[in-house]
Amino acid sequence: MNFMMNAGAATLAGESLQQVLLGSVDDTTDANYFNISIWGMILALVMVVIAAAISAAMKMGVAKSILWATCRSLVQLMAMAVVIVYVIKANNPWLVLAVLCVMVLAAAQITMTRASGIPKGMTGIVMLSLVITIVLMLTVVAEIIVHPVPWYAAQLIIPITGMLLGNTVSALSLGLTRFFDSMRERADDVQTMLALGASKWEAAKPSMVSSIKLGLLPSIAMLASSGIVTIPGMMSGQVIAGKNPIEAAKYQFVMLAAVGALTLLADSIIIALVYKRCFVSFDRYFVPPAAPAPTLKSLVHRSPATSDDSSGSSESLRSATDPENDPMDDGK
Amino acid sequence: MGAQQNPRNLADQTAPAPLFVAEHVDCTVPNDSGGKRVIFDDLAFHVNAGEIVDLTGASGAGKTTLLTAFARLNVNTTGTFTLAGRDSGDFTPQEWRRAVSYLPQTSMLMGETVADAVRLPWTFKVRSRATKGAGKTPRELLPDATIRALLDEMGCEDIDLARPPANLSGGQAARVSLCRTLLTHPRVLLADEVDAGLDAENAAKVGVVFTKAAAGGMAIIRIRHRQSDHRAKRIMVLENGKLHEEQAGEPVEAIAR
Repeated sequence: MNFMMNAGAATLAGESLQQVLLGSVDDTTDANYFNISIWGMILALVMVVIAAAISAAMKMGVAKSILWATCRSLVQLMAMAVVIVYVIKANNPWLVLAVLCVMVLAAAQITMTRASGIPKGMTGIVMLSLVITIVLMLTVVAEIIVHPVPWYAAQLIIPITGMLLGNTVSALSLGLTRFFDSMRERADDVQTMLALGASKWEAAKPSMVSSIKLGLLPSIAMLASSGIVTIPGMMSGQVIAGKNPIEAAKYQFVMLAAVGALTLLADSIIIALVYKRCFVSFDRYFVPPAAPAPTLKSLVHRSPATSDDSSGSSESLRSATDPENDPMDDGK
Repeated sequence: MGAQQNPRNLADQTAPAPLFVAEHVDCTVPNDSGGKRVIFDDLAFHVNAGEIVDLTGASGAGKTTLLTAFARLNVNTTGTFTLAGRDSGDFTPQEWRRAVSYLPQTSMLMGETVADAVRLPWTFKVRSRATKGAGKTPRELLPDATIRALLDEMGCEDIDLARPPANLSGGQAARVSLCRTLLTHPRVLLADEVDAGLDAENAAKVGVVFTKAAAGGMAIIRIRHRQSDHRAKRIMVLENGKLHEEQAGEPVEAIAR
């Protein structure tokens, strides 16, 4: 992963863009690194077009979505590449922080979109969970283990954050969906347990366990199969870039272990914070109705909930952990 | 037997203070069209220690709602509830429900064996705190022999304690459920149609078990649809959102299920 470190050069996004498009990256990398030209990109696109045409001919119905997703992917990857080149050149920790913030916001939005059946007002908790794990990731892996110079080296921090967020988004959305589904399915069980004197935690625990387990399955599968079934992307990328495979493997292992551990942490934090949302005052069972998926805009503006639903929550962390926000309070 | 012979009150004719009092009990449920529907409004109820009160009424009248309100489990109800003079707000939810125990109509038995299912309440902190202090496990606190004895009284001699609960019939599961709740010795037992799926002989056995529990001081409210077995001191009817007492001696209509 040797990006060019053109320390004295002008930091214009335009220059970065030009370099990316015309493939004129300064080759201070290994001679073993084989660039892809614009024709290569076009050929890749052509492959997708052919596949889409076959799908259209056979009326399989995926032509449009694969074409759209491919074009999106091209634009997104290139945009990210341009941003990274620019940020590396700019050598400014605030810029790196800004990119991280955008990534976390996008990750939160994707998590809440992919998680179905979750109630309103989860933004704060999801963001808190993501931020805690990113901070830990960057502190432990980036700073302590890898120890880059400067400490805010964008070429390390941004990809690492990206990998962690990718995994965490998966685990969190799986875990959250499963938790609320499970709490709804187990309505009779929960009521029985509450009637026998269970606390909220005790009544919710089987759902919590099952959802954390489910959220962890992909990470565990990845850890188990790495090296044998697949060479994960990070190691592959480094090997392609001409790095020593042993160094690449070390990086990959550190990443897999850290991502696995932090995904478990994020999932556990979020479920531990969220289980109370299925109860109202006096520990009575009530699962809030599912909320529509948020957009990035609504996340940024964070307008308070306007509708009169029984959970009475606003989009803040406090209300999510405070069961007293309940208009249908059992009177005294 | 029971509250009427409370030594403090032998001298006077006034009934002792009820063990459990419910006042101003309301229930409103949200409508499909976004409004609210009142199920009942400003109901009052009381039970004395050692008393059995039957609650009857047409299906859908709100009997289950009323009992879940008493146990403070229902999100659509409000009311003021007192146990031996103490307001429910002075209890934690778990302490309240340990004392005022609702036994649901649908039996949910959780655990790998019948014995595990019956011991479930002792895995909760509200009860296990006492056991942990004494260094006892749920199994030590509630030995198999105790469970066996009570199950046999209810006509469940054929239910092996090591059996998976999923294999039980509806009537068997209902009795195991009752056993689980009875062994927790609540002060007030709210039994929701426990003998609905039982044949006459087993229903009678369960009736005896209820009378015995009441004799030990437990206040019991039973939702029943069967003909009165004359074990209840009072029969309350919930009709059109109002409660009234059935005159003693009138047979309660058995409603076919």
